[in-house]
Amino acid sequence: MVSHPLRIWSTSCLTVLAICGALAPLSACKRSEEAPAPQAAPQAVAFHVTRVDLGNAIGADKKVTAPSVSFKPSDTIYASISSEGAAANVSLSARWTFEDGQLVNESTQIIAPAGPAVTEFHISKPDGWPAGKYKLEVSANGKPAGAAEFTVTD
Amino acid sequence: MPDEKPKPSFGNVQSGGSSTAPAAPANAPAAPRTYTVVAGDSLSKIAKKLYGDGNKWKRIFEANRDTVKNPDLIHPGQVLKIPDA
Repeated sequence: MVSHPLRIWSTSCLTVLAICGALAPLSACKRSEEAPAPQAAPQAVAFHVTRVDLGNAIGADKKVTAPSVSFKPSDTIYASISSEGAAANVSLSARWTFEDGQLVNESTQIIAPAGPAVTEFHISKPDGWPAGKYKLEVSANGKPAGAAEFTVTD
Repeated sequence: MPDEKPKPSFGNVQSGGSSTAPAAPANAPAAPRTYTVVAGDSLSKIAKKLYGDGNKWKRIFEANRDTVKNPDLIHPGQVLKIPDA
């Protein structure tokens, strides 16, 4: 008996297609089960001050609404200290001085930032600021972390 | 002798602050408070500034015995540990 060539081709082709069909889902499945490429673990950022801004008003976000380095004697002076990094306990201090280093005020906040944060300090003087040059020094855990100078003019 | 401009008083300065970061828990170990000596400072002046009582200078002296040998001799720029009042 002689096989029909067309029939042989058809049978072989069907077999190949069947195998491909059976394997295709496996390979597709394998692809979907591949472990995702490892991503870099987020690195803990050490606490550090990124900006010190001065102004005579702050918003709800604790940032000064209009940065300035010149104030009127009647102004409340705000320092907005932006920071990054996490820490369980940071002693953030603001030291305000007048002219040749005369201490105006020094205050400290103990914070536990979990990431970017804004901390504000403010000072006011009921009978008005004497005209002159002032300086703000910011320290974190006793180490200098930023500074700003400003003037008060009549 | 030149006239010295009288120094203004900042005794009535009011201050405050707040933060978007939470306050550290009260039982967290507090970071040591420090003070940087400026020209004209003495331990009693520093105690007066920081504690409101110049007689508490010995607390500062005791906390800094490792770096301050003579309580009458401190230097501008020197960083002192300030114990709680």
